[in-house]
Amino acid sequence: MPDVSVTIDGISGSVPAGITVLEACRRLGIEVPTLCDHPAIEPIGACRICLVEIEKQRALQPACTFPVSDGMVVHTRSDKVVDARRFVLQLLFSERNHFCMFCQMSGSCTLQDLAYDYGLDHWEFDRAFPRLGVDASRDYFVMDHNRCILCRRCVRVCDELVGNATLGVKRRGANTMIIADMDVPFGESSCVSCGTCLQVCPTGALGDRASAYMGATDEISRVKSTCTGCSVGCGVELVVREGRVIRVEGDWDAPPSDGLLCEIGRFQLQHDKRRRVREPMVRDGESWATVDWENALSKVAEGISAGDRACTLVSGLTTNEAAKAIAETLPGDKRQIGAVLLDESDGLEAMDEADMFVVVGTDLTVDHQVAGFAIKRGVRHRGARLILVDDGENGLAPWAFKQVGLDEAASVLDVVSGAEAPMIVYDAAAASVARSMAEAVQKASCVCFTDSANTKGLAAAGIAEGFQANGADAYLVVAGELSALSDEVMSALEAAKFVAVQASFVEPWSDVADVILPMPTMWEKSGTVTSADGVDRELQAAVEIEGLSEVAAIEQLGALLA
Amino acid sequence: MGKVTLCSDWLDVCSGCHMSLLDIDERIIELTKHVQILSSPITDLKHPPEEGCDVGILTGAVSNDHQEHVARTMRERCKVLIAVGDCAVTGGICTMRNFFDVEDVLERGYVETESTDENQQVPRSPEIAKLFPQVKAVDQVVKVDLHIPGCPPPADALWYAITELLAGRTPVLTDDLLTYD
Repeated sequence: MPDVSVTIDGISGSVPAGITVLEACRRLGIEVPTLCDHPAIEPIGACRICLVEIEKQRALQPACTFPVSDGMVVHTRSDKVVDARRFVLQLLFSERNHFCMFCQMSGSCTLQDLAYDYGLDHWEFDRAFPRLGVDASRDYFVMDHNRCILCRRCVRVCDELVGNATLGVKRRGANTMIIADMDVPFGESSCVSCGTCLQVCPTGALGDRASAYMGATDEISRVKSTCTGCSVGCGVELVVREGRVIRVEGDWDAPPSDGLLCEIGRFQLQHDKRRRVREPMVRDGESWATVDWENALSKVAEGISAGDRACTLVSGLTTNEAAKAIAETLPGDKRQIGAVLLDESDGLEAMDEADMFVVVGTDLTVDHQVAGFAIKRGVRHRGARLILVDDGENGLAPWAFKQVGLDEAASVLDVVSGAEAPMIVYDAAAASVARSMAEAVQKASCVCFTDSANTKGLAAAGIAEGFQANGADAYLVVAGELSALSDEVMSALEAAKFVAVQASFVEPWSDVADVILPMPTMWEKSGTVTSADGVDRELQAAVEIEGLSEVAAIEQLGALLA
Repeated sequence: MGKVTLCSDWLDVCSGCHMSLLDIDERIIELTKHVQILSSPITDLKHPPEEGCDVGILTGAVSNDHQEHVARTMRERCKVLIAVGDCAVTGGICTMRNFFDVEDVLERGYVETESTDENQQVPRSPEIAKLFPQVKAVDQVVKVDLHIPGCPPPADALWYAITELLAGRTPVLTDDLLTYD
């Protein structure tokens, strides 16, 4: 479409036809306040704070939904507009419970910021004081309907971005309520606790439990990093105050997930109740003694040297830099704790192009959840189709039009071939089935997730084999925040003469280890990891921990063992 | 010209707003050069004299019939009435009880609270002011000429407002002087 010319606040410019007045304002460098609008979702004009005066229009119009036309003349700061916005703010404030002094979001609230901007020193209207509930049935965050302004950002992200469509509304007008599913408690709904709604809520309606009252906008800093919860590699913003990560948010500007996170990335580490390893710990019979690094490292060197065969087990939570140090400085066998699958993979971005998904042997509502969101929104909004090739239950089943067992994969090949842009999604669990399908449908693109965040990076550093019982009797386990091990690995460690572990948490190591060395979590280390799509993504330490970094500890140990 | 006369009083309030007024610190000496404080919770005279005053300050929300009487008296006896603090301006933290029935609030406060002794009763003496069903802001009871929100308002906001009024201008709170918490 050709450009159209518009004049906004006396500034004339040419803008693409079809865009909204709000977008046109932004292109011309004119700021218009918004509340219900969010760049990641479709505008609906719910809150009316962006009202502008458009010549030849009967009434003020919401800039976020009104399209530009040629010759349009807009005023965004006329007295009429400012009065209308103050009126809108007063209506919003007098509707429910918008008393800032006892709200956890005071200081981080868009509604409050706007009221300050518009000099609102009192409200002219009587307050309604409706008695609405607080829904605290979810583990990580609370919905206080009394603080809600019905902007529906939560409803829209749940539908448009996450594809889950748990949230909706009931009743109309001022009586409208945000509900989950058919009006059940949020904790009993189809909510997947990804927290995207929490992140976009402009008021105190959705409040994070862990960071409540922990720091307002001007008291916090933000550090961009990468989530190592799985091999997708979502960009995170770590919200830090006084040397503590108080909250994790998705980074809207970071590929591949553009702001989306799942329950694991946003909440799991924050709510991990295991004991941290703060100082090196050495087993003393049944109990543990804390020692300094020097003592601990010599104890580890001694234990490993005393064994007949040493093996270093590395978790995929280890950075490329640490993997390089392990490969170059430590003697003996080095293996990954998880399965090593190195198939080439498209990135998450490609999932929004596919018109048919074939998910083979993996449940994307459990692992790599953000990829599951891409499939759900594809099915809901683009008419993409989903075939599950999986034995047993799969959380994506409600979105699938067909599910077949792994041994029946060949039966769907015709349907897959018929699609224009089919995509096969798999991980290590059923890689051979997926590969044979990809071979049969040449045009299919593939997304193959690895076992851990940095499986590919470890392999590139030379640690390319997965765990196998190989008769080793002295182990160094570079574990990070790993919480569970396969029985196979556990029994090998139990049988070994000596086990040293570099870990963020004491559990599950206290039963098998002889020495436990501290290791930073994903929030505390800098470096890179190589995601499933082969892209190196950067980790930035939001918090510095005391003692040796993971790389320094490995290098010093290497020197002792040399 | 003589000094401007000022009276202040408090309603349903934690007294933090008067604390904030005292937080103008040594500027209070400058203030007394231009202003004579006739009555306040911290002077001998607690309520505005019948002769009236130029400026009246009310802090706190209107929660009961006594407070309504105090608010009306102040309004009648002052020329310019300033509502100071969130409770006076919007009802503030006092409005937390507006989401419950008054009887439930009294039961909770006097009987059910974990720290309350056994066999406690809700006091019902006719001497005690009667709670309204809903807490109100001052401007829902009497006309208010100037609002200074904040919990409490910064001392600088109060100083700014008073000096602007003394200079014959209408104070307009902006930036750090306008706050709701």
